[in-house]
Amino acid sequence: MANTQAKIPNEAKKKVNVKNGLNWLWSEYSVIIAFLLIFIIASFMSPRFLDLNNQLNIFMQVSIIGIVSLGMTVVMLSGGIDLSVGSVLALVGVITVISLNASGNILIAILTAFVVGSFAGFLNGLMIAKGKIASFIATLGMMAAARSIALYTADGGSISGEVSGFTAIANRDIWIIDYPIIIFLVMTIFVYLLMQKTRFGRYVYAIGSNEKAALLSAIRVDRVKIGVYTLAGLLVSVAAIIETSRLNSISSSSSGSAYELDAIAAVIIGGTRMTGGRGKIIGTFFGVLILGILNNMMNLMNVSPHLQGFVKGLIIIVAVVFQKRD
Amino acid sequence: MSSNSFITMNNIEKAFNGVPVLKGVSLEVEKGEIHALLGENGAGKSTLMNILGGVIEPDRGTIEVNGEEVRITDTRSSQSHGISFIHQELSMVTDLRVYENMFLGSELRNKLGFLNVEEMCVQTSNILAELGVEINPKKYVRDLDTSYKQLIEISKALLHNSKLIIMDEPTSSLAEHEVKRLFDLMRNLKQSGVSIIYISHKLKEIKAVCDYYTVLRDGNVVGSGEVQVENLDNITKLMVGKSISEERFNHYSELGPVALEVTDMMSEGLFKAIDFTVRKGEIIGFIGLAGDGRTELFESIFGYRRKYSGEIKVNGQIVKMDHPYQALQAGVGFVPKDRKENAIIKDLSVIHNMSLSSLGHFEKSGMLQAKKELNTFQYYKEKLNIKVNNPRITIDKLSGGNQQKVIIAKWLEVNSDVIIFDNPTQGIDVGAKREIYQHIIELAEQGKAVIILSSEASEVLKLCQTIHVMYQGEITARLKGEETSEDEIMRYATGFRKLRYNQAFR
Repeated sequence: MANTQAKIPNEAKKKVNVKNGLNWLWSEYSVIIAFLLIFIIASFMSPRFLDLNNQLNIFMQVSIIGIVSLGMTVVMLSGGIDLSVGSVLALVGVITVISLNASGNILIAILTAFVVGSFAGFLNGLMIAKGKIASFIATLGMMAAARSIALYTADGGSISGEVSGFTAIANRDIWIIDYPIIIFLVMTIFVYLLMQKTRFGRYVYAIGSNEKAALLSAIRVDRVKIGVYTLAGLLVSVAAIIETSRLNSISSSSSGSAYELDAIAAVIIGGTRMTGGRGKIIGTFFGVLILGILNNMMNLMNVSPHLQGFVKGLIIIVAVVFQKRD
Repeated sequence: MSSNSFITMNNIEKAFNGVPVLKGVSLEVEKGEIHALLGENGAGKSTLMNILGGVIEPDRGTIEVNGEEVRITDTRSSQSHGISFIHQELSMVTDLRVYENMFLGSELRNKLGFLNVEEMCVQTSNILAELGVEINPKKYVRDLDTSYKQLIEISKALLHNSKLIIMDEPTSSLAEHEVKRLFDLMRNLKQSGVSIIYISHKLKEIKAVCDYYTVLRDGNVVGSGEVQVENLDNITKLMVGKSISEERFNHYSELGPVALEVTDMMSEGLFKAIDFTVRKGEIIGFIGLAGDGRTELFESIFGYRRKYSGEIKVNGQIVKMDHPYQALQAGVGFVPKDRKENAIIKDLSVIHNMSLSSLGHFEKSGMLQAKKELNTFQYYKEKLNIKVNNPRITIDKLSGGNQQKVIIAKWLEVNSDVIIFDNPTQGIDVGAKREIYQHIIELAEQGKAVIILSSEASEVLKLCQTIHVMYQGEITARLKGEETSEDEIMRYATGFRKLRYNQAFR
């Protein structure tokens, strides 16, 4: 008697669990499902899509925007936004090349890049955390200012590296995998661990979800925010090094332009909430890949480059509509 | 059924994810009746009212309005049947004016299609006058007291010709004189034939204003009847399944050294000349009406507000509180009021909310140890009787009482010497309330210094050895818990009497 009674709720529970499980899978990993779907469609539409070289090509192309998007994810999880990433990338690139040419030392050039990128991010953080300026405004200012300094320094044109070996960063490979892909993967793992396994990451989620409660939980909100923007700046400098190294030059006027929009798109497709507090690094990783596949597919199918923006815009909006919103 | 009944709900059933929440609930409300809907959090009150308000649809059961069966599919159809739902969190647009809020979504327009501001203002004034209040309809809602916001919500319901108004814990953020105003209003509404369903945890209020009651427990109606005939103790017994008397929670802890000493603290326009001490093992209370400055005072002591002068000593050391982090380091913890805005991080899991202020305890070479967090949570879950099956769900899915316990666990894990509780039982049902009082007593017995801020005299009377009464930013009296009464406290809280605090206490 007691046995049969216990059995029924158990079975009911199981059903509920399965249903909850599916719901959970969808809400947490809808971006991966979308990715698989687009991947399968792409492989049907173009036979060359599945080619290993093409696959690596996609990865290579998204690595720079991917690294920028990782930083953008952290910023957006904290409830902010960073519009300055593209301009800062150009500025870092310009100063890195100057430092490279002046010192003749690749290591010094890389360190310069890190310092400039993090400093720009630090300034963003300072304005936002201590100056209480909305992140949109503060980074909009930084976007204009950084581009202007880059243009002034490079006299509006491009500057090229004169040290052999610098191009190796973006153009060498291990086995058949290019360095930028490896750097992107390593950065993804690094930021993932930072967000999931450290105090810093937990604080970022808390601040993005409820800043007042985070402050009343004795979290040093200002410091964390400065850290968030500094990290974003540091990741931009990593991306800037790859971008500069790839062609051994950087354009002060066009490099990095509209990167902020691609990065924000990737983060949103990846399921991070605009207002912060919710989202995942893994989501952004697949969001970046989805954008990469779309670009690649349209190139393979000879879609006019003028129309590619339209398709991308459409996909972004569709992706967001299909994601579970609350 | 009597022909006088306005609304009848029959055998309503509702399940979420296969878990039944309502198991055949029936409810009848007559015209011009104030009906109390009682029950602990999770008993199904909100679900039942959400069905009536058109927020969700029932799985089974019928609803009759004026004897005719109706289907309520959304909030609009609920409104068209004359039902208004005033939620616990007021849904006012604070940056709009009073009349704009009143007519939000149903604005009056003149022939040209422009807004007819004058007419809207006149109608607003008329309705407010009927309720016996005078507010300029062009005032911004953000400049009004909470009680007035409540009034505007009710006026809005009247504007839509509502015949039934559902009030979900309307008094939880009101001071006592505001509550009185609300009750007068409810009686007026009743006279004019409007029915009210009143959800509250406060039995005294039920006794004061309600005619009939229905008690829900675990999705069933466990009792109903006339309020005036029934003994309050019995109703409480029905709600929790056991009796809770208005006892004083005695505790006999040895008073240790002074843990927190505040001297001559003031902040322009908020509070002034604040002096008090609290010793280890002692529970002291701060009570006052809205605008007394007690919350602001303790937010300053916790470092949340920076602009203050005066001296704060924790364990004999002078500390300048510029940031809550300094308070935490010095050994002061703070469980804030308005849990949803100030305490819980709704996107974080239950476990992560618990560990948020003491993540250092769970780190190993810079990495958080999920296992350790879980084990610690299990310890507090047991200790504080937190009801949650899967602690990885986000905290907003728990009931108010359980959320509060998680927040308390958070500060227990920090292990501060001084713990400040601001309105610790706000929006919490009777059973959980008692548990929380018990935990507060235990803290004192373990040698913590505990400070309780409350707007309910009965709460501080239950727990505190010393009660500080505040009025307009000043401490007007210090009373001994065993020797004072609610009446005496209220006299000082309303500014009717004022003691020179130093002589008062010695």
